[in-house]
Amino acid sequence: MMRLPPWARSGRVILGLSLVLIVVLCALFAPWLAPNDPNRQDLLGTLMPPAWAPGGSASWPLGTDSLGRCILSRLIYGARVALTVAVIASTGAMVLGALLAYAAGYLGGWVDWLIGRIVDIWLSFPPVILALILMVGLGSGIQNVILAIILVDWTRFCRVLRAEVMVVSQRDYVAAARLLGFSHMRTVIREVAPATFPLLITLLALEMGIAVVVEAILSFVGMSVGSDTPAWGQMIADARQTVYQAPWNVIFPVGAIFVVVFAFNILGDGLRRTLDARLTQTERS
Amino acid sequence: MTATIAKLVMRRFLVAIPTLLFVSILLFVVLRILPVDPAAMSVPPNATLAEIERMREQMGLHLPIPQQYLIWLGDLLRGDFGTSTHFRTGVAGLVATTLPATIELAVMGMILGGGLGLCGGLLIFYFRDTRTEAALDVGTIAVLSLPDFLWALFLMLVFGVVWQILPFTGRLSPDLDRPVVTGFLLLDTLITGQPKTFVNALYHMILPAMALGISAAPPIIRVLRSSLLDTYQEDFIHQARLRGLSERRILLRHGLKNAILPTLSLMGVQFGFLFGGTLLVEIIFSYPGMGNLMVDAIRNTDLPIIQTVGLTYCVMVLLVSITVDSLYLILNPKLRAR
Amino acid sequence: MSLLQANELSVALRLHAGDFPALSNLSFKVEAGRTLGIVGESGAGKSMITRSIAQLLPRGFSVTGGSLRFMGQDLLGMHADARRALFGREIAFIPQEPLSALNPVLTVGQQMQEHLLHIGVRRGEWRDRAIAALSDVQLQDPAGLLAKYPHQLSGGMCQRVLIAMAFVSRPKLLIADEPTTALDVTIQARIMDLIADLRRQHGTAVIFITHDLRLAAQICDEIMVLYAGRQAEYGPARALMEAPRHPYTRCLQLAVPAMTGPRRGLYILPERMPGLRAVRAMSGCRFAERCPLADSACLAGEPAPAKVAPGHVAACLRPEATASIAPPPPPDHAAASTTAGEPLLKLDGLGKVFVTRRRLIGKPDLFSALNSATLELHQGEFFGIVGESGSGKSTLGRLVVGLEQPTRGRIMLLGRDIGNERAETRAFRRENVQIVFQDPQSALNPRRRVAAIITQVLEAAGVPEAERQVRARELLAEIGLSPESAHSYPSQLSGGQKQRVNIARALCRPPQVLVADEIASGLDVSVQAQLLNLLLRLRKDHGFSMLFISHDLSVVRYLCDRVAVMNRGEIVETGRTEEVFANPAHPYTQTLLASVPPDQAAADTLDHQGATP
Repeated sequence: MMRLPPWARSGRVILGLSLVLIVVLCALFAPWLAPNDPNRQDLLGTLMPPAWAPGGSASWPLGTDSLGRCILSRLIYGARVALTVAVIASTGAMVLGALLAYAAGYLGGWVDWLIGRIVDIWLSFPPVILALILMVGLGSGIQNVILAIILVDWTRFCRVLRAEVMVVSQRDYVAAARLLGFSHMRTVIREVAPATFPLLITLLALEMGIAVVVEAILSFVGMSVGSDTPAWGQMIADARQTVYQAPWNVIFPVGAIFVVVFAFNILGDGLRRTLDARLTQTERS
Repeated sequence: MTATIAKLVMRRFLVAIPTLLFVSILLFVVLRILPVDPAAMSVPPNATLAEIERMREQMGLHLPIPQQYLIWLGDLLRGDFGTSTHFRTGVAGLVATTLPATIELAVMGMILGGGLGLCGGLLIFYFRDTRTEAALDVGTIAVLSLPDFLWALFLMLVFGVVWQILPFTGRLSPDLDRPVVTGFLLLDTLITGQPKTFVNALYHMILPAMALGISAAPPIIRVLRSSLLDTYQEDFIHQARLRGLSERRILLRHGLKNAILPTLSLMGVQFGFLFGGTLLVEIIFSYPGMGNLMVDAIRNTDLPIIQTVGLTYCVMVLLVSITVDSLYLILNPKLRAR
Repeated sequence: MSLLQANELSVALRLHAGDFPALSNLSFKVEAGRTLGIVGESGAGKSMITRSIAQLLPRGFSVTGGSLRFMGQDLLGMHADARRALFGREIAFIPQEPLSALNPVLTVGQQMQEHLLHIGVRRGEWRDRAIAALSDVQLQDPAGLLAKYPHQLSGGMCQRVLIAMAFVSRPKLLIADEPTTALDVTIQARIMDLIADLRRQHGTAVIFITHDLRLAAQICDEIMVLYAGRQAEYGPARALMEAPRHPYTRCLQLAVPAMTGPRRGLYILPERMPGLRAVRAMSGCRFAERCPLADSACLAGEPAPAKVAPGHVAACLRPEATASIAPPPPPDHAAASTTAGEPLLKLDGLGKVFVTRRRLIGKPDLFSALNSATLELHQGEFFGIVGESGSGKSTLGRLVVGLEQPTRGRIMLLGRDIGNERAETRAFRRENVQIVFQDPQSALNPRRRVAAIITQVLEAAGVPEAERQVRARELLAEIGLSPESAHSYPSQLSGGQKQRVNIARALCRPPQVLVADEIASGLDVSVQAQLLNLLLRLRKDHGFSMLFISHDLSVVRYLCDRVAVMNRGEIVETGRTEEVFANPAHPYTQTLLASVPPDQAAADTLDHQGATP
């Protein structure tokens, strides 16, 4: 029998991965899973309560919103936007942040100084404010949401990774590789980078949760996808108008965001523990 | 010793100036690449092309971007923050009336967040190596998984809508008069001697400040816990036990005093981000601070407001980080003696 | 009644699979005012004894039997509060790492105050008492010292502060766990003298835990030698050193190079000490596998400690045979090296100044690590560079291999200046000079397999994988590792094996000059002996020269043909090793040599006994 690596045996990783998998399946098979067309309005059946509450109907398991659209269907379709943004934006932020971190941490000197100052400038913005301002400049739309998240959150990777790269670069085996004839490029790829992968993977998992939140914020203020694409943030913003009549409508999308972010966080935490990636300053804000 | 600290803090301030300069450039450039024309937004919808062109010139938008920037910066240094294209009033006045509300809320959130974070960190550390620890730890991750504006919604639903025990709109009940001295409501009500209004204002602040505090606490909890665990690996803790000191004393005097340092530097970042969190929390609680001003300005593409408010947020973040860094200097002798 | 008495003390790691013994049936006692040395290599269980006394055993470990009594009180069954009342007052501890044993965010004064108030000194008096205690340990300006933070002090000063804290309560028993291992040899000597003085003044009993048999012999009345959690030998220091009755004690003695007299060979113990898991499976003598005298009887049952002389016990079936273990013949130095002809490597007025801090305006802060070093290294010569920390010896090594660039002087290799970063110089240097780093933990990439690590130079040159595998197998054979270890990761190897891999990597394409920076320090003496002999054998096969940088004088004496003594960035003395060690000319060399514990137990150990009532 093959022995699983420690990370695959961690309860946290298994829980996180399972939850992520469920959401991924929802997003992929949305047309088959959703009971109704997420955009079909039924103006006679607005603000219906969930099926189990008095006055609920089985055709709308979680009720309807103020335009009479099926909440459950919109939640399932909303997973598509959330996951698309999470995967692409986090990967982009990781690539940008990691490249700069390797350059700064390995080369040191003025390169490190310059990148350090840029990170400082970025860190003087609260991330939400910077994302909003970028969205004003770029205009709304999902690709701009992704771009904005990359441009805001690369610093999360850069800051933490740079410190790690500096520590690894001080190791004697890096000096030895240079003395044995490795080029700088090869030294970074073969000796430095592999030591930072555990940290990178952990950060990536955490960043996915952050990206989901940022997308929700931007769609909450109406700067993400158009109104014909269901997104969780939008659903919350809509439901807020009718919170007295239908508090459930707020709770469901909030719950959906919570579950996805929790999945990525618990996955990240499990990876951090089992891959022994040291994080102190990387916790999300 | 105080002299060296003062010198180092001064240096920190000086470093912040170029940072702020680049922040303003970044802001300006980003807002100049936007796809909509601010001139077109600030004339009546039936205006002719010529009228729009005249507006562009009036707003200085026909000039090259570096020149526009220098004009803006020059005005800024003279204390002229421009005029809102939407409200037709000075931006300085708008920011001055909303900023105190935001600061008040943020500081309250920081106090709650810091307090919760430190207590939680100590609590989890106390339960180290037990099943309780694992449960508390997963609980922390769960709390961490709900961002501040969703906490705001959640608290509003529970305490405001369902239980109806706390107010959740604005800073004050509409039937009360609002004293204006400094703009900080809690302070003003105290100065003018209106305890009833003070309590009312405090009530209004509880839910938004809690939303900010609760979501700021988990990272602090986690860092404090892990720094305490690291510190307890150190020889001096072992040595303190061998000197016969009590566990309580070891924790407070030797453990916490060292573990607080990494926690503090995290708090600097964390509290800076908390300022960003006030934006959405303010919207959810209809709290008349800078966040509402900002979102309105974004809807109206009101560039002078967006620029100034954006910059103000950055100044706040820098102030928080300078404060935290100064505290760090006071607590960490290694940084002082160089 | 003895001050401290351990009776059949056993400690084990308790797991689901059962108990894994860490200490087995240890009995020893410390009389008031006497000094007991506990000696063993890493893994022998030395620090488990301190931890048992303190009842601060690592997680999973617990006392499984026996008793431990201090002045008649049961230390093991005692309530935590009662034990806490003893610690810091009646029983004091001196730690191994002085720099990390003081709280970095509190001043020396704050920590002294805390301790003094804890032991019952009145609030108004603590300052005077603290100043008096710091003067007792010969610290300058004790009043000023109170306001200092630990990071502003040197390791030696921190250790003095800790000693002052330990003695301030006039303890009956002092437990010193490797108190000088982290310190330079001259500081070590002064600290040991200080402890001895205070001990005599106050009549304190001392348990001195160390890996260094000679150091223990110098200061202790009795010595207990531990092997794999068992008592190997226990007796008066002098008797034990002059006529050891357990083969392990004898082998330990012979594994360390002599400081005086003719050079002798090092006794090589094969393999290494069994770990907790291996010990559990053993039925016979735990040392039998490595013992030169063992036979089938030794494997049959574990020998109990038996009396061999008054107050002297040894756990061996044939203690009298121990004397028959003889040192191997000395290494052959003359044949390997020649000082005639052109030198291979020539350092000419070499200097290095580091910029410690750049300023925007004004001059940068500078630190001169190496002032002006001149020396010549000949074909096949092992050249020792000795000095204490901060002497510039490591900087010299880093300059030679090109990790740093000199700010002054020249490095001539085979008549060519290699003190620059030009591409052709780098290539030339790479062909001819290689380095072995001090710490294999840091020098070996934990994510690469041994075969990949040792043939890294071939990978850089683009040699195909198959060829590299062949070379890897040759190299492993040369350094005495099994062919299977090619597929291991460094974490799966022992400390000694890692250091061999470290050496193999540098020798993959044999260089002319090898720079070895402290490669034998931090290893147990038996492992160190294996490593030194490996270097000598490799020289015979490949004929390279070596700059051997070390703080350990005895190792340099054994290994090197010539030696340079460094102090504060200067080479103060150079010469043939035997001559320098026998007749040191420079005062610093004399101090250095005087600080090393002598080969035999000091003659005055018996005087200690006379001093106690």
